[in-house]
Amino acid sequence: MLAVVPSATLHGLDGRSIRVEVDVAPGLPGFTVVGLGDTAVHEARERVRGAIRNAGFVFPPRRITVNLAPAELRKTGASLDLAIALGILLGSEQVRASGDPIGLIGELGLDGDVRSVPGILPMVAAIATRRIRRVVVAASAVEEARLVEGVEVLGVASLAEAAQAVRGNRRHRAVVAMPRVTITGPVVPARPDRETPVLAPLNAVPDLAEVRGQSEARRALEIAVAGGHGLMLSGPPGVGKTLLARTIPSLLPALDDAAALAVSIVASAAGEGPITELRRRPPFRSPHHTLSYAAMVGGGTALAPGEVTRAHHGILFLDELAEFDRDVLEALRQPLEEGRVVIARAGRVMTFPAKFQLIAAMNPCPCGFAGTVPESRCRCTPGEVERYGRRVSGPLRDRIDLWVTMPRMPATMLVAANDPEDSGTVAARIVIARERAALDRDRVNGRLRGRHLRRACRLSGEASRRATELAEAELASGRGTERLLRVARTIADLAGSAAVEVPHLEESAHYRPQVARNATALAS
Amino acid sequence: MIGIGTRTAIDRSSTPSGAADAVRDPYAPERDAWAVLAAVRGLGPIGFAALLMHFGSARAVVATAAEPGGADRLAATPPIDATHRSQPILDGIAAAIVSTAEERDRIVARLRALEIRVLTVEEPAYPARLANVAMPPHVLYVRGDVGSLSRPRAVAVVGTRRATGPGRTTSGRIATALVAADATVVSGLAFGIDGAAHEATVRAGGVTVAVIGGGHATLGPSSHVRLAEAILASGGAIVSELAPDTEPSKGTFPRRNRIISGLSDATVVVEAPARSGALITASWALEQGRGCFLVPGSIDSHASAGCLAFLREWSQASHLVAGIPQLIADLGFTDPAPDKDARLSGAAIQDLGEAESAVARALVAGLATVDELVARTDFPVATVLAALTMLDRRGLAIGAYGRYRPSGSLLGELHTFREDSLRKTRGPVARAGQPMLP
Repeated sequence: MLAVVPSATLHGLDGRSIRVEVDVAPGLPGFTVVGLGDTAVHEARERVRGAIRNAGFVFPPRRITVNLAPAELRKTGASLDLAIALGILLGSEQVRASGDPIGLIGELGLDGDVRSVPGILPMVAAIATRRIRRVVVAASAVEEARLVEGVEVLGVASLAEAAQAVRGNRRHRAVVAMPRVTITGPVVPARPDRETPVLAPLNAVPDLAEVRGQSEARRALEIAVAGGHGLMLSGPPGVGKTLLARTIPSLLPALDDAAALAVSIVASAAGEGPITELRRRPPFRSPHHTLSYAAMVGGGTALAPGEVTRAHHGILFLDELAEFDRDVLEALRQPLEEGRVVIARAGRVMTFPAKFQLIAAMNPCPCGFAGTVPESRCRCTPGEVERYGRRVSGPLRDRIDLWVTMPRMPATMLVAANDPEDSGTVAARIVIARERAALDRDRVNGRLRGRHLRRACRLSGEASRRATELAEAELASGRGTERLLRVARTIADLAGSAAVEVPHLEESAHYRPQVARNATALAS
Repeated sequence: MIGIGTRTAIDRSSTPSGAADAVRDPYAPERDAWAVLAAVRGLGPIGFAALLMHFGSARAVVATAAEPGGADRLAATPPIDATHRSQPILDGIAAAIVSTAEERDRIVARLRALEIRVLTVEEPAYPARLANVAMPPHVLYVRGDVGSLSRPRAVAVVGTRRATGPGRTTSGRIATALVAADATVVSGLAFGIDGAAHEATVRAGGVTVAVIGGGHATLGPSSHVRLAEAILASGGAIVSELAPDTEPSKGTFPRRNRIISGLSDATVVVEAPARSGALITASWALEQGRGCFLVPGSIDSHASAGCLAFLREWSQASHLVAGIPQLIADLGFTDPAPDKDARLSGAAIQDLGEAESAVARALVAGLATVDELVARTDFPVATVLAALTMLDRRGLAIGAYGRYRPSGSLLGELHTFREDSLRKTRGPVARAGQPMLP
């Protein structure tokens, strides 16, 4: 007898609705799965066989053929286990379905346990677009699944419970979806929250008050976060580059609904554990410099999202930037420019969102001590220092708006200076600057280009002359000039000014790349 | 610019005898011939002199090389006198002259394309100071103003590539004072002391000459290419004794140093660790009978060890730099306009806005990081950063590795303001006696 069970798999970040067709026919006992499954899908046969027997059912000694439709779509992962098992039970008439069709998503253990899989949120959304209103998932994934509007979610712990749910036995009360996500067409948030969401303070995140001195870098960080600009922190070891970067989560405002949904989907697809509500907190990713190309941009056999995508709508912090592989760094160019990354593998092209803000830190030279006092501490030759700086290629350099060097602080500065501002004070200024920016712009300043940038700056005659002068002084390329204007726009936002004025431009010019600054200083 | 240069080169090569040049400058064909001979590998000054003696001119040598059997005739050149070996031009070198002469048009076109002026030692424009040293380079390749090599006063300011911050500042101050005394500053375009001297000269509006250790087409270090452009734009020159495409090597730099000292009335070594190349320049200066000055340093400073050792060893011949006014006096450069410098720097400061002048004063007081400048001036960070941008634009401040130091005419203020400002400085940030400059 033929049984058809709706299920879903994960394809990049998208859920794909799959029809699991199970034919249990008389003949020589056998178990075949067809329909472009990967290794995990083929191994499902063994898990399903074990789970059925150990859950107290009989694995039918007949010819079993499982077809996963649509056939041309490559299926990955273990999300289809539960649907295949139920299909066999329905096909061998050990279970009779009642009521509307019911979607099943879950991995099986040999003991019949139902386990959650990555990507519940997009997969449930995909099933829901097929007008299937009831979905069975693992108990631990219920919270995540019910973010999708209009779906009745049933959490089950075992194959036996799943069978009960399919029989229509409501012993396990279905959890009604929280109306968070509509599923008409593209996945979009159901309705904007009335109140501004507030993020709970994080214990693990350092506060800006812990960073003493370094006013130049603190100021640059505030501008970077307010305008979504790329930031490079350079300096010898131990001056607080990493500490400063790690305070960023305490400065970032909460995400709006659309961004929070996008972040939640990425987190779900990347298997970041149970997701109980929309993720309002912007992600902060800090991969180690040994990571591979595929780990950065995404890929692998399952086409999993990489770090650039997992930092979508958040921060990608690259500590020791010069130590990353050249290829890995060059791969950042496309996402920095376009906000997305295209991965092409044999026969498959996948586009992942990757609108992240780049924060980088590096030493000034291979030994790390160039420019420190006493100077004899640095043992690198000038050529080595120059080559080290060149590990960050020109195109990547052009895409980082703010550059600061953090010097070692004299002890007097660390001990005697006034208490620095805390994160709350700075975050409040950032919120105001962002609100001002949102009045007349549809994107963060860090992504302003061309005519949008010119329009946003509203340069007066005098400011325009000064901008030209500053750009010529550092022989700025077109990109360098735009960087000057972009950063000045954010400085003006922080100052509460509608137009970009001369002092904003002058401060902005201070954050040009070290290389340009060395060139202006002529002699290094 | 390249396009024009290339077209010019093609035009010239279409008139291989250099007829067009000859109309304007009768010496041009001979100069080109010298350039060809200078490009011959292995042809040294003695062989060169013997060829000139025997054939009468470089043109004649090149013409001979182009004739059939030319190599044999070149190899038959007699020695200048009996003290030299009997065959000054070995067969291998004669062959090299012939093959180089065949490339004559390419060599000349290359020089024109790179805008290089060749100066032969027999030309009047060849700097007299250099012509007077033992075995001057018979050909100089010059980019920029040839006249800058022969100005009445010229002083070399040289030192280690791995300079300390104070060393750079000293180098810049000496150069600035030399500009005020209307002297040309000669140095080697290297990192560190050399670069600081060139840069300060350019910023102070003076003339500076860079002698490089390779050919012009291999100019380096690459980060100093802009500095080189600035030197040329301000009326200075870049000089090499090597053909344009010669790669610099270990041996070319010590040879180059004799030109640095030879182009100068005196050589000042600012910082030199033991076995520094700058000490070779100092030795050349002594040998050429020029003044030799060394800036002493702490006996604990690695970067000054060579200066101190040299001062001890050559205490009779060399001079110690005890202060910049004394140095200028010791050089015999009585300041042509004592008021000029003060007026210039005073104007530079007066012209500044409120925040800029406060930051400028704090810089002169030796406050280096932005935090220190903020603490000293009571201006917000944003204002201090904007002021630093503008001071940098005016050539009054330089930032490196997050520390800032005075530059240009502000350097002249160091003595005037330092005492004054330190007394006024509040708080623990800049306690007097604690060196704050990097």
